[in-house]
Amino acid sequence: VLPESVAEQLRGVVGREAFIDSANDLRIFERDGSIEGAIPDAVVLASTTDQVAGVIKVAAENKIPVVPRGAGTGLSGGAVTIRGGIALQVTRMRRILEIDPVAQTAIVEPGVVNQELSLVAAQHGLFYAPDPSSQKACTIGGNAAENSGGPHCLYYGVTTNHVLGMEVVLADGSIHWVTGDAPDQVGLDLCGVLVGSEGTLCAITKIKVRLLRIPPSIATMLAAFPSIETASQAVSAVIGHGIVPAALEMMDNVTVGAVEAHYKAGYPTDAGAVLLVEVDGTEESTRELMESIGRILSDNHGYAMREAQTPAERELLWAGRKGAIGALGRIKPNYYLHDGVVPRSRLPQVLSAVGEIGEHYKLPVANVFHAGDGNLHPNILFDMRDGDVLHQVESAGEEMLRAVVELGGTLSGEHGIGLEKNAFMPWIYSPDDLDAMHRVKDILDPKGILNPGKIFPDPSRKTVHLAGRTGLAVEARWW
Amino acid sequence: VVVKATTVEKPASAEELAATLRDAAAQKLAVVPVGGGRARGMGGVLDGCDVELHTSRLDRVLEHTQADMVVSVEAGITLEALQEELAKAGQFLPLDPFNSPGHTIGGLLATGWTGPLRLRFRSPRDFLIGIRVALPDGKLATGGGRVVKNVSGYDMMKLHYGALGSLGVIVAASFKVFPKPLHDVTVSSGGGWNAATHALSTPLTPTALELDSDGRVLARYTGSPDAIDRVVRELGWKAVDPSVWTVYSHRAPERWARIAVPRDALRRILQALPSGSEWWASPGVGMAHWAVNVEASAVREIRARVEAAGGTLWMLAALDEFMREVGAWGTPPATVEVMRRLKNAFDPDGVLNPGRFVV
Repeated sequence: VLPESVAEQLRGVVGREAFIDSANDLRIFERDGSIEGAIPDAVVLASTTDQVAGVIKVAAENKIPVVPRGAGTGLSGGAVTIRGGIALQVTRMRRILEIDPVAQTAIVEPGVVNQELSLVAAQHGLFYAPDPSSQKACTIGGNAAENSGGPHCLYYGVTTNHVLGMEVVLADGSIHWVTGDAPDQVGLDLCGVLVGSEGTLCAITKIKVRLLRIPPSIATMLAAFPSIETASQAVSAVIGHGIVPAALEMMDNVTVGAVEAHYKAGYPTDAGAVLLVEVDGTEESTRELMESIGRILSDNHGYAMREAQTPAERELLWAGRKGAIGALGRIKPNYYLHDGVVPRSRLPQVLSAVGEIGEHYKLPVANVFHAGDGNLHPNILFDMRDGDVLHQVESAGEEMLRAVVELGGTLSGEHGIGLEKNAFMPWIYSPDDLDAMHRVKDILDPKGILNPGKIFPDPSRKTVHLAGRTGLAVEARWW
Repeated sequence: VVVKATTVEKPASAEELAATLRDAAAQKLAVVPVGGGRARGMGGVLDGCDVELHTSRLDRVLEHTQADMVVSVEAGITLEALQEELAKAGQFLPLDPFNSPGHTIGGLLATGWTGPLRLRFRSPRDFLIGIRVALPDGKLATGGGRVVKNVSGYDMMKLHYGALGSLGVIVAASFKVFPKPLHDVTVSSGGGWNAATHALSTPLTPTALELDSDGRVLARYTGSPDAIDRVVRELGWKAVDPSVWTVYSHRAPERWARIAVPRDALRRILQALPSGSEWWASPGVGMAHWAVNVEASAVREIRARVEAAGGTLWMLAALDEFMREVGAWGTPPATVEVMRRLKNAFDPDGVLNPGRFVV
C-alpha cells in the first residue's frame, strides 16, 4: 500500500479521477496476457507526457516501482507489478498526432492501438508493418517496449526496424526525444537500445514510426501437409530456394481443429499441419513467386493447396491464424505459450522435442507459429482448476525452452523476457554478457524503480528447476 | 609535450584482443581499434594514439548454415572475403560501402557506413542479429544470437552499431543474410532529379537508385524477372553492365563529407552546395556524399542548413587542421549527456578512440 502522502502527490499529478487505489479496481490491473499476476498498489491513468514525467518523478523521489502499461496483452509478464508500486497506464494517450504521407511516417501516442494506425494510414495508401496477433487490442507503446513481432515480420522486420524515434521519460523524470528525422543521427543509438527494453529503462510517450506503401498485389495460399515434420521441411525448402515470403505461418492439427470449428475458414482438419503463405508486390512478382512456392510445397508433400481468391477469403484465412490462440479455448480454458526461436533448419528437431515433452507431461500442445522465422509458439493447454497442473505446465514449458536453447536458439523472439523467462537468461548469456546489459540498466535507472524484477535473473523470486544444467548452452555457443 | 610512439597490436584471438585492451586500459593508454583502415579519417582528431589494436587476424567465418540464412564471422574479415563465402551458397550481405574494397565487418559496424543498397535493405542495424564486443575491463560481452528474431535482453547490437568503437571493440558478429536475386538489372539515365524522382515513384521500388552531380542516374532492380522487365521497359533507360556498381563503390575523395537529411529536403540542400560541387546521392534514402572543395567556413554554413533541416553533416576525411576547424560531427544531440553516462559505464577512463567520437 502506498503511503497516503505519495498517493496525494500522484493525485496532484494526474488528478483525482485518474488515480485508482481501491482494492476492487486494482484487481483489474493484476495481469497481462501471461500466467502470473500481482496487484499494484496504485494505478495512474496518464493523459500527457508531463503527467508521465510527474508520476516517474514521484516514484523516483519515493523509490517506488513504476511499471508502464499499455493494453495489457503482453505475454511475458512485462506489465505485471511484481514488486508492487504504481501501474502507469498510458491508454488515455491515444492520439495519432501526425501522418506524413510524403515522408511516409507517423507520430503516435503510446496508447494508439496497432490496427487503428494501419486503418488510418490506409487512407493514404500506407500501412504499419509489424502486426502482432493481438493487433486489434495491443498498443504501439507496448509494441515498442517489447519490440513486438507478428506474421509479416518475416519479410518486413520487427518493431525496432520501424521505429524512427521516440519521446521517452527516463527514470529521473526527464523528457527526451531519441533520434531525429534523418538517417543515422549523431552519437549513440539510444532509440535502438530503448526499443525492446520492456519498460525497464524508460516510459515511452511518443513514437515516430515508418509507414510503408500498401503493395498493389497480395497473394495468400493455404497448404496442407501430412505432418509437422513435412511442413517444416517445406518451410526450409522455400527459404532455401532464396524466397522470403511476406509471411510463412504454420498451424498443427490440434490448432487447425479448433480454428476450423470456430472460424469455418476452410482449413483442412485432416492435415497434420497447414502452412499459410503470403507474398506481396506487383501483380507479376506475386504471380511468379506463388507459382514457385506452389511447386516447392507440392514437391515437399504439400496438398489441398488453395489460394485466396478474394480479399474476404484472405481475411478469413488470417482471422483463423490470428484468432488461433483464442480458438484453443474450445479444447482447454487456459494456455501457456512460449516463444523460443531456433535456426530455421532446426525446426523439425525442435518440434518433435516439443511433442515428446507434451506427451511426457500428458499435456495437450497446440503449435501455431512463425515458421519462416523459426519462431515457435507451443501452446500448452490446461485447466487451471485441475489441482497441481500449473507446476506441470511450467515444467513442460521450461523443458521446451531448454530444447530450443540446446539447438542453438533463443528464449524469446517477440514476446519479451519479462517475468516469465528472466530466470533462464543464464542459459543463453554468460555473467559477463549480463553484466554488460546491467551496466545500461544501472546508468539509466540507478535507483531501480522502472519495472523492477524483469529481464534480469531475480534469485530471490524463483528457483531455476533445471539449475543443474545451467551453463551447458553457454559453453556450446558458437564463439 | 611528450610524444610517445604508437604500439601496433595484432592479436590472434578475441580473448587475446580483450586481454591487450584490458592491459592498455589499465595503464590508461589511448587505444585506437583498426579494421581495414578504410574509415580512419572519420571522426574528430584523436587526442592520442598509444596502441593501435588491429583486428586483421580475426578473419574467420565462424559458422554459415545455408538453410538458416545466417552467418557468424570474426570482426576482422573483409567484406569481400565474406561475400565470397556467401556466394558459394547463393547468398550475400546487402552492404556496398564507399571507399571499397578492404572494409572489415567490424569497421563497417563501428562506423555505420552504407552504400546504394541501403535503399532496399536499409543498414546493418536491421540485419545484424548478434554481436560480441571486447570491453576495456577485458570482458567479452555478447548480445543477440544467431536466430533472425530475438528479444532476449537488451539490444546490445544497437548500442555498438555506429558507436565508432567508443564503448568497446567489436570482435565478432552474426547477420541475417539474403538470397542472391533471380534477376538483377541496372539501367542508367542522364535525366537528373526528375528522372530519379520518377523512378522512385513507380510501384516497383528500385533496390538502389543513385544520382550524380553531373545528372547521371543509376537504378538497380532485383527480384522477379517479369515485374522488372516491365518497369525497365516503361522507364526506357539504357541498360548498364552491373560492374558499374563495383567501380562506384571505390569512390573516396581525399576530403569528403556525408550529408543525411529527411528525404524531401535532400534536393534543396544539394542545390545549396557551391556551384561545381561534386557529389553523389541516394535520393530515396536522404543521403549524399560530397567531395569537399571549399573552405571550412563554407562547410560550416552548409552544415547549418543541413541541421536546420533536421539532418547531419559528418566529415569522413580531411587534414587535421581542416577537421578541427569544421568539426567532425556538428551539433551534438540534446541527449549527449545520457550518451556520456553510457560511455562512462563501459570506458570510464576514456581510453577508446579519445576525441574521435561524440562521446
